[in-house]
Amino acid sequence: MEKLLVTAIQRFSTHDGPGVRTTVFLKGCPLNCFWCHNPETKDLKNEVLFTPADCIGCMACASVCPSGAHEFENETHILRRDLCMSCMSCVSVCPSSACEAAAAEMTVDEILREVIKDKVFFGDNGGITLSGGEPLIRKEAVELLKAAKDMGLNTTVETCGQVPREILIDALKYTDFFYWDIKDTDSARHKLNTGAGNEKIISNLILADSMGALTAVRCIMVKGVNTDDKNIRGIAKILSDLKNCKAVEFMPYHAFGGSKATLLGLEDNGDKSLIPSDEEMALVKARLAELLKLYGVSNISVL
Amino acid sequence: MIFGTASKNERPVRLSESTRQFAYESLHGKYGDEAVSHGAVTLDDVEDFDMLDDYGKYDIAVRRIAEQAPLRITESERVCGAATLGLAIRHVVPATRNGNAVYGSMSHLTCGFDRAVNEGIDEYEKRIDLRLSDTENLDQRQIRFLQSLRNTVASMRIWHKRYLDATKDSRPDLYENLKVVPFSKPRNFHQAVQSLWFCFAFTRLCGNWPGLGRIDEYLGEYLKRDLRDGKITTDEAREILASMFIKGCEWIESDTAPGSGDAQHYQNIVLGGLGPDGIDITNEVTYLVLDIVEELPIGDFPITVRLSKNSPEKLYRRVCEVQRHGGGVVAVYNEELILKAMTDAGYRYSEALRFANDGCWEVQVPGKTYFTYIPFDSLSILQRRVLKKDGKDIEYESFDSLYACFKDELGKTVFDLCSGVQNAWVKDGKWLPKFPMSVVALFEDGCIENARDYGEGGPVYNVVSPHIGGAPDVGNSLYVIDKLCFKEKRLTLKELYQALSDNWQGYEALRQYVTNKLTYYGNDCDESDSYTVRVIDDFAEITHSYHSDEINFVPGVSTFGRQIEWAPVREAVPFGFKKGDILSGNLSPTPGTDAAGATAIIKSYCKSNLVRQTTGAALDIKLFPSSVEGENGLEAMIALIKGFIALGGFFMQTDVVDAETLRAAQENPKEYKTLSVRVSGWNARFVTLNKEWQQMIIERTEQGI
Ligand code: SF4
Ligand code: SF4
Ligand code: SF4
Repeated sequence: MEKLLVTAIQRFSTHDGPGVRTTVFLKGCPLNCFWCHNPETKDLKNEVLFTPADCIGCMACASVCPSGAHEFENETHILRRDLCMSCMSCVSVCPSSACEAAAAEMTVDEILREVIKDKVFFGDNGGITLSGGEPLIRKEAVELLKAAKDMGLNTTVETCGQVPREILIDALKYTDFFYWDIKDTDSARHKLNTGAGNEKIISNLILADSMGALTAVRCIMVKGVNTDDKNIRGIAKILSDLKNCKAVEFMPYHAFGGSKATLLGLEDNGDKSLIPSDEEMALVKARLAELLKLYGVSNISVL
Repeated sequence: MIFGTASKNERPVRLSESTRQFAYESLHGKYGDEAVSHGAVTLDDVEDFDMLDDYGKYDIAVRRIAEQAPLRITESERVCGAATLGLAIRHVVPATRNGNAVYGSMSHLTCGFDRAVNEGIDEYEKRIDLRLSDTENLDQRQIRFLQSLRNTVASMRIWHKRYLDATKDSRPDLYENLKVVPFSKPRNFHQAVQSLWFCFAFTRLCGNWPGLGRIDEYLGEYLKRDLRDGKITTDEAREILASMFIKGCEWIESDTAPGSGDAQHYQNIVLGGLGPDGIDITNEVTYLVLDIVEELPIGDFPITVRLSKNSPEKLYRRVCEVQRHGGGVVAVYNEELILKAMTDAGYRYSEALRFANDGCWEVQVPGKTYFTYIPFDSLSILQRRVLKKDGKDIEYESFDSLYACFKDELGKTVFDLCSGVQNAWVKDGKWLPKFPMSVVALFEDGCIENARDYGEGGPVYNVVSPHIGGAPDVGNSLYVIDKLCFKEKRLTLKELYQALSDNWQGYEALRQYVTNKLTYYGNDCDESDSYTVRVIDDFAEITHSYHSDEINFVPGVSTFGRQIEWAPVREAVPFGFKKGDILSGNLSPTPGTDAAGATAIIKSYCKSNLVRQTTGAALDIKLFPSSVEGENGLEAMIALIKGFIALGGFFMQTDVVDAETLRAAQENPKEYKTLSVRVSGWNARFVTLNKEWQQMIIERTEQGI
């Protein structure tokens, strides 16, 4: 079995499902949303997080790098990402926190051993949440869910829905709850902003729902991008077809999205003008609630 | 008016507008300022004062205080009596001669106010007289002490009479209750609260800072009866109780000089838990107290709730709902573990069941215990007597030999501390004289019977607790030494010593390595936690092995903020901190070394065998408001406490606060006057802490636990 790339294991998570949870963030995502707030989880391969301010100039990295990616020029230390082959050698020798790996390679057992440490706090409701990136692009993630279920943990998955059908069907057996993103119901716009259309995401959701998956749908609201009434109507339409959806959560875009972007040599794309105001968020929620009522949907709460 | 909170939910409003206004004034220093303006009574005119024996001097001081202290009766108060002399806030008896206070006063005890309320003070007078009638078996000091107790009661009567006279016409509501209590038994809940407050206020008036103990246990029955008989409503009862809490803030000043925090005078309260019959006593008073501190940001009465897996679910919820507003006002005890810790240390189970604390968080049997603790810095033992001796570096063949030396030195320190106390206090099996403490002795079982003062072996239990500080720093140091110098042989001890004596100058790569690549105590990593656990557990066994017939020497873990005083005299440490850095407080991780969050900290802490730390070991947990929002956040807080109990924790204080708020408070202290944080056992108004304290709390907060 292949190892999983884990960007973080966050204990005492209280916002990713019921009770106290441990959230496992897996690296790699099939989408490429321009607003992504976890850029370090997007790429499928591991990456070096580079913090020049923490560098003490010992040059240990340069001496082990097989591709000469660490360049030192008059006091400045540059990481040539174009040369980097992600071998992580520099990370292992760097004494400071200047070079760190975006993810740790871990087996399912190793991850589970970390998660189980908090079992005493999980109680009846708590457990494990898989997040990312996108967890359901690797079959090892399903192994992880299965093993967690075997240990009696509640399992939750945060998915963008753009996942292979066979993995999804497998995962359904071991997942108690899904947070499912619908980023835009306009497929062309979806493609423009995330790199892919939304057809697969929506058909996967309908499939999962028909197989009994409990879900909360999450909709990110990016001002001037997908806050239009047509999108809200589209969301209402999809929700009205779901039998096992419990809630819909609207999340405002937030501009501190790129916090780790600069460490990856990416542009920090946080743009405050895209943040919807509290009033706009309230309007969107009210509108959706109204539409759901119109469609006779009563089992979905709007959060 | 709006009282601040760390939560998104505003504080509920249940109390009347006038009570809330009263609270606002009290919390903003109105009465503290008044007190300071008339600090003390003077003894300058007492003739031949210097000729008097110590009880003679003390008795005059107490009597004068009762006769002359200003009275205060505020419009909104429902209970009467006030500790109006400002010098009491400085922890002395507020009576001066030539400008100097003549006697110190007592704290770190919970008086037996339960007995005082239930019996009435008249009974005490009878007991003293009875004891005095048997002079044949009393020595001179015992007689003088009993006479001093008699004077205490007489002085209390004087003070009481003054309040009776003052309320007779203007405040019949107060007057009617004062006619009965505290000298006779209360006839209802309102009188019981008045009786408690009056006794408490009198001890405070005379400069002492006692705790109140399990007020729900001893007030609960009165309220139950009144509610049953329809004599009172829950809302009325809340107003009465709130009045006592608000009056208890009478020592807050509007403009307190920065220091180690002012807002607490060890007036601890313990709620919930098992009663004498082994049945949970949680009752209406328990919930009313929580209502009050949920509504009013009162940090002056730190509350600790005895919880076990059998405690009512509602109590867990209410505790967490209050905790969520921040201020760290409510902490929790793991009742089952503490009962075991106490019976293991020799208390009868029926006595252990009564446990409360000393006014801070060290557990003891209230109303019958003399208590003091002796803090020491275990890191300095490692640095000055193990890694170095007489300033010279010491080499070790193996980690085991190094640790053996540490354990040996730790043992010597503990034994020296214990025998130091033993020899200073007791000679040939007899207690040596201290200074008079009759006012608190009156409320301590054993003192009348033994005709011995509070500090001279009078109480039923005499407990002295060596408290180890800096253990996580010792653990982390040992971990690095063992791992790098012995197991991996990355560097020699000599090289490490050099780096430390150079305060890491020139060893930045190594320092970065130990700082970033190793995991320390507080991250739930068995390997590194094991060193701290070993230090803590060895310390407990060493302390338990010290024997004295007169004094129970039992272990505990704390620093109470001393990590700040210790910082400048400590050396650089192997885990990367430099000279002068502020290290671990209590049994919490060294700031900045814990990255895995609250659950991991709790797990690391619980790995020690805490049942052996008889007086306790404190853990401080800081949570961000955002992580405990909503119903799920509340559930998560409950889960934290339940996990802490299941894992064998002792005492945990949870604070909900965010760094931004704290920084804002640092910049605009005026706007954040009532923002209080819990720091190692007590609450302080954040703005009254000095810069380093504030910084430490902000840093801890920022780690995003
Ligand atoms: S789906 Fe999520 S993780 Fe993937 S790119 Fe979009 S925002 Fe980032
Ligand atoms: S990861 Fe490997 S290739 Fe990339 S910079 Fe580091 S050492 Fe060089
Ligand atoms: S190894 Fe780390 S600290 Fe040393 S030069 Fe490279 S990045 Fe800087």
